[in-house]
Amino acid sequence: MSAQSTSSAAPARGNALALAAYVALALVAIFLAATLKFDGYILNILMQAATYTLAVFGLSVVLGLCGQINLAQAAFFGIGAYAVGLGTTDAHMPFWLCLGLGMLVSLIAGAALGASTLRLGGHYLAMVTISFQQILTLVMINAISFTHGPDGVRDIPRPQLFSGQQSYLAFCVAVLAVVGYLVWRLADTRLGRAMRAVRDNELAAGVAGIDVYRTKVTAFALCALLGGLGGGLFAGGFAYVSPDQFSFAESVVFLTMSLLGGVASPIGSAIGTGLLILIPEWLRFLKSVPGLYLAIYGLAVILIVAFMPDGIWGFVSKFFDRERPAPAPGAPLTLAPDDSGGANVLVTDKLSKHFGGLKAVDEVDIAVARGKVHALIGPNGSGKTTTLNVLSGLYSATSGSVSLDGRDITRLPAHKRTEAGLGRTFQNIRLFRTMTALENVVIGAERPGNKLIEGSSRAALEARAMAALDFVGLASRANELVTAFSYGHQRLIEIARALAANPTLLLLDEPAAGLNSTEKQSLHNLLERIAAFGLTILIIDHDMTLVSNAASHITVLNFGRRIADGESMAVLRHPDVVTAYLGAE
Amino acid sequence: MDFVLQLLFQGVGIGAVYALVALGFVLIFRATNVVNFAQGEFSMVAAYLMVVFAVDLGWPYWLSFLIALGGMAVLGAVFNLGVYYPLRHRTYLPVIISTIGASILLANSTLALYGPQPQVLQGWFDTPGFDVGGVFLDSQYLLIIGVTIALVIFNYWFFEHTLLGKKLQATSQDKEMASLLGISVSTMIMITFVYSALLGGLAGILVAPILFVSIQMGGTIALKAFAATIIGGFGDVAGAIIGGLALGIIETFGAAYVSVPYKDGFAFLVLVAFLVFRPQGIFGERVAEKA
Amino acid sequence: MTFTRRQISAGLAAGIAMPAILRSAHAQGATIKVGMVLPVTGPAAEAGRYALTGAKIALDQVNKAGGVLGKQMEIVTEDDQTTNPGAVLAFSKLASQPDIVAFLGSIRSTQNHAMAQDILKTAKPVMFGGTDPKLTHMDNPWLFRCRPNDSYSGRVIAEFGIKTLGKKKWAIVHSTDAFGTAGGKALADALGASGATVALDQGYANQSQDFTPVVLAIKQSGADILGSYFTFENDLGIFARQLRQLGVTIPYVGSPSIVNVTAMKLAGPALYGTYGVADYAEDSSEGSKAFGKAYREVAKVAPDNQASWPFDAIHILAKAMNAAKTTDAKAVREAILAIKGHAGAEGEYNFDANGDGLHGYNIVKNEKGSIVFDKHIEFKS
Repeated sequence: MSAQSTSSAAPARGNALALAAYVALALVAIFLAATLKFDGYILNILMQAATYTLAVFGLSVVLGLCGQINLAQAAFFGIGAYAVGLGTTDAHMPFWLCLGLGMLVSLIAGAALGASTLRLGGHYLAMVTISFQQILTLVMINAISFTHGPDGVRDIPRPQLFSGQQSYLAFCVAVLAVVGYLVWRLADTRLGRAMRAVRDNELAAGVAGIDVYRTKVTAFALCALLGGLGGGLFAGGFAYVSPDQFSFAESVVFLTMSLLGGVASPIGSAIGTGLLILIPEWLRFLKSVPGLYLAIYGLAVILIVAFMPDGIWGFVSKFFDRERPAPAPGAPLTLAPDDSGGANVLVTDKLSKHFGGLKAVDEVDIAVARGKVHALIGPNGSGKTTTLNVLSGLYSATSGSVSLDGRDITRLPAHKRTEAGLGRTFQNIRLFRTMTALENVVIGAERPGNKLIEGSSRAALEARAMAALDFVGLASRANELVTAFSYGHQRLIEIARALAANPTLLLLDEPAAGLNSTEKQSLHNLLERIAAFGLTILIIDHDMTLVSNAASHITVLNFGRRIADGESMAVLRHPDVVTAYLGAE
Repeated sequence: MDFVLQLLFQGVGIGAVYALVALGFVLIFRATNVVNFAQGEFSMVAAYLMVVFAVDLGWPYWLSFLIALGGMAVLGAVFNLGVYYPLRHRTYLPVIISTIGASILLANSTLALYGPQPQVLQGWFDTPGFDVGGVFLDSQYLLIIGVTIALVIFNYWFFEHTLLGKKLQATSQDKEMASLLGISVSTMIMITFVYSALLGGLAGILVAPILFVSIQMGGTIALKAFAATIIGGFGDVAGAIIGGLALGIIETFGAAYVSVPYKDGFAFLVLVAFLVFRPQGIFGERVAEKA
Repeated sequence: MTFTRRQISAGLAAGIAMPAILRSAHAQGATIKVGMVLPVTGPAAEAGRYALTGAKIALDQVNKAGGVLGKQMEIVTEDDQTTNPGAVLAFSKLASQPDIVAFLGSIRSTQNHAMAQDILKTAKPVMFGGTDPKLTHMDNPWLFRCRPNDSYSGRVIAEFGIKTLGKKKWAIVHSTDAFGTAGGKALADALGASGATVALDQGYANQSQDFTPVVLAIKQSGADILGSYFTFENDLGIFARQLRQLGVTIPYVGSPSIVNVTAMKLAGPALYGTYGVADYAEDSSEGSKAFGKAYREVAKVAPDNQASWPFDAIHILAKAMNAAKTTDAKAVREAILAIKGHAGAEGEYNFDANGDGLHGYNIVKNEKGSIVFDKHIEFKS
């Protein structure tokens, strides 16, 4: 994980060098695969390793990058394999067409499967994928007139260009090298960052403007696609496919390969695949006692999971890892909030949120004036955070409406509101924990609709992210993992992430919670500096000093209802407010 | 009518088997948020213990039964210490993989120790069953159904009316809160693993006379029990029982009226349908996780 | 990244090749080696043990009688894990040892299909026990079958049921794997050819836990005789018990697994009185009697067909190599095809041009748990 995150900040020259080395080594590997004289056994093992690794690459996308489980990779592998098997032998279609068809079918199946359940995630996804796997296996076995049933498909031809075993192996290695490179680089693309953000914190990802659901479905479909590719090549390599090669047990093997090697990187995939194919082969000398070598294999899996949490590659790569110096910040941060929608940036009209019989938010009207700092306060349980969650789209409103900069956003999902110009921070900090400070803020800068980023070039994104980090005073530590920062600094990174997105309205959820008095002071200063840009802020906090100093306008909630609203000092002296607070405290 | 009743009995019987194994899943899932992929192997190991003591050594059935359950308690404890405990602070994925490893380990070490031949274990009763109005009631299935009902009642009493049961409940609902209340979370999890190993073992011993004792016996049942768990809504004891019974009945009638070879597919089709249209299961587990 | 992958490939190659190189350097030419692919792990592990014992008994006899071409014969085994990919890897591992001159393949037809490509490439004789008729009809000259194929078992079941038992309304139950589907089809074809009716043709998936719907379907079909092709003993055991529990008492003629030792142990009284076609029946010939005695001495239990075909395979290979006076694959192939009238444990071998050694089956009856030979039905083609 950390290996590729640091590479994101690598200077372009280093990247070119690494690419050249990669290409050179890949060429050597292809050359060796084509020319070294292997016997049939080693050839079979290498062929199996190469094609399986492609499928495991798929898992490193869906599981490693996006954090979603897939227990049906063998089914997608099987779809690819059967497409090539049946297509070339029964339908007499060219190999390449069949390979492409298999990948297409896998892709569609993966996308459909993902689309139906990825809203649920976790164990549900595990179960649905298991079900898909079982049903597909049953179809392979029982739809005899179409799939040849348990007999399988034999005498599958290879493409003419690579009809020899070795030239075909070389071709597979070449495909492996290309796909491996793409998967490796994927982590640092916009899509890859989105996947990692979803994996680290779905909620924060949505609020950062990432379409969580679509990202997950995309990851799942990509995984299936790679499974189909691997399977298609496997069919050509072994010339025979049958249902038991694509059973649930094989899906488990794929998953184990991925986790064992290191789920987050294609190198890990290759290591895991290689090892899991080899371990049982190496242990064959124990065959005199039936079951012994598979028992040892099971034990090895338990031990590796326990002692190498990031897989073998994660364990090894720690020793190569060195931190890169932070890039120098360039121009200072600029903010250009949208201002098309009149005097009030945010207006709610009789906004309500009920949980069953509980009216957590009850017909609340709020109007946040443009360019002002507005505070929302209230005793514990008064509905402040619920209001904020309804505003940012994490909860859907029971009734009433919300409009941002003149646009009705009541029915928009969280990421669409972010696109419309909403930015927020969380009371309990939600950063992307496996990423560096810079990467976290880059994801903020990537907000769709951010007019300050042109063409979303990598340099522009990083420059903006550095400017935002510099603004909160953390530029020099940009390339450290966020988990290395103190609580107060993590809060600042979260604010920087929101600022980098150039929002129209910034929602701050108890920014002073858990800060000491010095930190509170600097937070106050920061708020003033942000307000100086003319950015509209809605702040929730308990800290009366902070609120009364920073905010020009205050809305007070109690038991979900608005009990006071107006200019700060007047509201704080309002008798209902005093009672609410004294009563509550 | 005989035909339908016979199918119904059989469906309920096999469904009760799924339900028993599903119970073990649910308990571990509630306590640890992890699906134990080795749950089926618990059943298999217990059945082999029975074969060793009751058949090979010829000890009395009840004594062998107690020894087998004792062995399962030990296995549950060791399983917790070796497979779950080291990973308790990690996400569910490594734990799943670890339980997969454990299932491979258990299945194959049993194979290495005992050899591959499937074994016969006699049932509790000498009579194979009764013929009631043209419907044959297998005595072992009757026993299984009876035990399932007894366990439902026991679990209800245990979790709702005993202090230990309530502590276990509290732990599975909120670990932090439980430890603030002075409950030892790790002890509770240990008890959970032991209890679900016992349940798995009990299921294994009960089905052995019907399905025979073999290395593979656990795996096939476990997969169905998973499906039952989902249909009942993850984490719900009563749901698991109903899910298991529903699955058994669907499968049996599906095989009789639709297709025998696709029998195993019905379970999963129903499962997918549930996940897509009613993800909260029959009784409902809250799926939403929010700020 | 590529560095690591290349390292892996190199390490992988060296790691696998090393033991093989060492082994072959060590034992060059001292013995005549025969490779054997068999299940040591997985659902068929039990069958694998029978197979190995059978092969080893033959090996002992061959070596005591002077071996092959003046050298001792040796068996090198690999585990196929009861899976198709496992079989492919196991076979290719054996095939990569150049001093192995011939092989024993699998009793499972799918595995032989899976290995067929590698067998063709290796171009050395492979004796096998799978009974799918296709295996000897796919232009692979290196496959030699040591059991009668399913076209014969189907014809024997049909002929015995119709002519001897006089039943014409059949129910067929078969597994949906390669073995079961091919067998079920062969039986249905044979019944059709003899003018009998098939009232029910029911497939089931392996490792089923319950056969109630199948049994009830048999009951409802009104069939007066049952023929079956079961793959796994567990399934057969559960099926047989439920058959009896639900009161189905029509005559039952099953494929060879019905008289398999494990199946009889599991099913117990439920299989009493049933008939089975058996390629191996202890009382069917002098050869099978002798094998039964030898096997009992070694293993303390009665043998079944899992053990008898590897026993015959080893003897046939030894005989062919001695006749050819070489281990050269082509000459051995010719010598195997020339074998006529060889009295093996399974019966009398007369190899035809396809590589099928046997052309008939025995009918046996389960008399209260012991197998009694009834008759042998042989076909000319």
